Amino acid sequence: MTAIKNGVAGFFAALGSFFGSFFNAIARGDAFVKLSLIIWGAGYFKRKQYVKALLMTLLEVGVILFSVFFAMQYVPKFGTLGTVQMEQVLNMQTMQMEFNDFDNSFLILLFSLFSFVVWAVAIVVWMRNVVNAYALQQAAEAGEHINSFKEDLRTFIGEKFHVTLLSLPVLGIVVFTVVPILLLIFVAFTNYDQQHMPPNALFTWVGLNNFKSLFSSGGMTVTFGYAFVRVLGWTLVWSFFATLTTYFGGILMSLLLNSKKTRVPKLWRLLLVITIAVPQFVSLLLVRNFFSNGGIVNTICANIGLTGFLRDVGLISTSYIPFLTAPGWAHVMIILINIWIGVPYQMLIATGVLMNLPTDQLESARVDGANKFQTFRYITMPYLLQVTAPTLVTDFVKNINNFNVIYLLTDGVYTTTNQLMANSQAKEVDLLVTWLFNLTQNYYNYKMAAVIGIMVFIVCAVFTLIAFNFVIGGDKEGTYQ
Amino acid sequence: MKKIVTLVLALAMLLCMAGVGAVAEAPITLRVWGAEEDQTYLAERIEAFKAAYPDYNFEIQLGVESESTAKDTILTDVQAAADVYAFASDQLPDLVKAGAIMDLTTLEPVLTQMTGKTLEDIKAANVAGAISAASYEDKLYAFPFASDGFFMFYDPDYISAEQAQSWDTLLDAADAAGMKVGMTLASGWYNACFFYGAGFSTVLNADGTTTIDWNGTSPDGISGVQVVKAMQAIAGHPAFMAVADGDISNQISGGKLAAVISGTWDTDLVAKVFGDDYMATKLPSMNIDGTVVPTRGVVSFKCIGVNGMSPMAPWGVVLADFLTNEESQVARFEARSIPPTNVAAAASEAVQSNKGVVGLTEAAEIGIVQTVGGKYWDPCASFGEQIAQGTIGSDDAAIQTALDQLVEGVNSPLS
Repeated sequence: MTAIKNGVAGFFAALGSFFGSFFNAIARGDAFVKLSLIIWGAGYFKRKQYVKALLMTLLEVGVILFSVFFAMQYVPKFGTLGTVQMEQVLNMQTMQMEFNDFDNSFLILLFSLFSFVVWAVAIVVWMRNVVNAYALQQAAEAGEHINSFKEDLRTFIGEKFHVTLLSLPVLGIVVFTVVPILLLIFVAFTNYDQQHMPPNALFTWVGLNNFKSLFSSGGMTVTFGYAFVRVLGWTLVWSFFATLTTYFGGILMSLLLNSKKTRVPKLWRLLLVITIAVPQFVSLLLVRNFFSNGGIVNTICANIGLTGFLRDVGLISTSYIPFLTAPGWAHVMIILINIWIGVPYQMLIATGVLMNLPTDQLESARVDGANKFQTFRYITMPYLLQVTAPTLVTDFVKNINNFNVIYLLTDGVYTTTNQLMANSQAKEVDLLVTWLFNLTQNYYNYKMAAVIGIMVFIVCAVFTLIAFNFVIGGDKEGTYQ
Repeated sequence: MKKIVTLVLALAMLLCMAGVGAVAEAPITLRVWGAEEDQTYLAERIEAFKAAYPDYNFEIQLGVESESTAKDTILTDVQAAADVYAFASDQLPDLVKAGAIMDLTTLEPVLTQMTGKTLEDIKAANVAGAISAASYEDKLYAFPFASDGFFMFYDPDYISAEQAQSWDTLLDAADAAGMKVGMTLASGWYNACFFYGAGFSTVLNADGTTTIDWNGTSPDGISGVQVVKAMQAIAGHPAFMAVADGDISNQISGGKLAAVISGTWDTDLVAKVFGDDYMATKLPSMNIDGTVVPTRGVVSFKCIGVNGMSPMAPWGVVLADFLTNEESQVARFEARSIPPTNVAAAASEAVQSNKGVVGLTEAAEIGIVQTVGGKYWDPCASFGEQIAQGTIGSDDAAIQTALDQLVEGVNSPLS
């Protein structure tokens, strides 16, 4: 927990000092520094950094033009998300349809958010700009050297090289990650669904209604609450077992392959790694067909009498074994099939770690008379755990969102017999993500999908924070040594 | 400086003129989406369309989009979708609500001007069922071109025409031959046929929700519980094989079936497995407490619609009409053996002698045009699966509860 506290405290301290230096610059700066508040290039102009002054002023003009000509089309409508419904009339002369200047709620939302992000960045630049101008003033007063534009540029491959490297990735993250995530969050507070699909219809804000309908449940009423709890439960159970089984399976497999008694280890490793090379949708769809109700495995089971035996002991009531079509059976099968898919990855990781296992400790253990199991229990496993714990945490989160395995194995095969689940378009084997996919893809219920998306995010975030604190917080290295 | 300004201005003027010239000469661009199997046929018909209007300069692009998934693709981004597209008629309500399909009454003047036809002519030229399936709230939205729906194929080696008339005799005959009868129960498209047969209905409301009353008593005086019991008797018969949705073709190939509920898309496969003497007919009737009740299958139609947000919609209507006129439907039947909706095209001897078409026609005579939407599909699929797996139980109270839950799920508002 201390790491989180330190992080939060550090963040606010940095924020405070940033604002502090900004107001300090305004208070103590000369006229040109103050003028920089209005004309961004003023401070640089005074210190004869003409190119920089021009660039900053152009940037300012750019932001203003962006605000007037682009943002103003959308941001003023942000409160209502649009009021003008689409209409069209037929023009017989041109043989074309003519549309009115209608509002598109989705574009209003998207471009408003984009404008907000641009403005937020612009404000930070504006404040930094004043701080920089004041720093220049101080440098000039102290008679220090003031960089020319060329020298400034050179710093970007010198002491400011990190800025050069990071600017493109950061821009990418803002455009492709931050804006979409913000969009998702905002959609959760609208009524964007099949009845309100832009551009034909408008959608608008509905406050917390969607969250209410997620958490209200009871009796016979059809609500998301009933399905949500069950889907969330299975998501967590699945992630736990999927992570644990592949993790230990991978370690055992790599120990087996690293053992001196294993012949042609490279061949076995190759065979296992082939499952990685084959695209999952190919291998999973094949496995799905193997285990289908009329599939090859069922035929074999029927022929050797296993199906009959299971029916006699009352485990199944059908003429086939419902490997992927009945709750319970499907849950176990999915986890088992996932072992086959996931173990090779963990095996590769574990092999890498095992190769770095300090041999002196193994030697001394052998000298002390430890047997194979004791060596594994007290040296190999703790070492592996300490090194691979972070991947264990990320694997768990990855499994929460493991769309491929669940969707490819169950879509179109598994039909729920729980009417209440079906009434919320969910299945017992759905993860939150696959449910979300069904809601958006087949029911255009974007608002509820957004709510579930937020829930997935919260679950993942909380788990990651706690787990990382637990696993790598403190000095685990010391305890191991 | 002056020179540069002059140069820029001159360039700008040139560009403007070029632009104006281009606008005057601009070809009429249309994008068409049709099924993969229809591409060759459509390409030929598009060429014929261009030939029919030699005074205009068309630029028509043909793309692949299956009729069964057209709605999903189109609704993802209506403005980016094709101007003219083929779709299955059960998608019509969703397309209308998303504004993705043109109301043809607005464009009737264009149709009349270019082809001399009115909407009444279109309605008269096609079978009544197809027109009602292509209409929503009494307005015609699309041009139908093919019938679709399910009926029964059977193998006369095991089952006689007499035995194919009712579920009881059919299943007994199959059982005696050691064969099975395959049908999909876990789908609201298939399993509704039992309820429709008993006189129940499905209603699509203006707000997009679906209303069913299957937990009550139908106008024919048959209760939902009775229908479920009849379904349970069928599904529980040793010769009945409940097939997962989309797995029917697989099971036909499996060779264990003596009869199967499927559609014209499986005609060739059935002919291969059952032999060329295969038969096709309407669904067998149910026995509900001693009364013989027909099983009414769902009839749907394939249509061509015009994108509701396409500026080129007027030309789209002319093209859509052309691709679905009698000549086009005859050509389509010759290319794909798909039963036409055009009355004149359907009357031809070639069409009448196609066994798949005969089966479909028989089923369609008592069939229902299914208009559902909203939350109909998942609850109904689950209900069918429960009957297939026999999880509901046979006492009236349990069946009633299951029906109540089904109705509640289907009728619930779009949250």
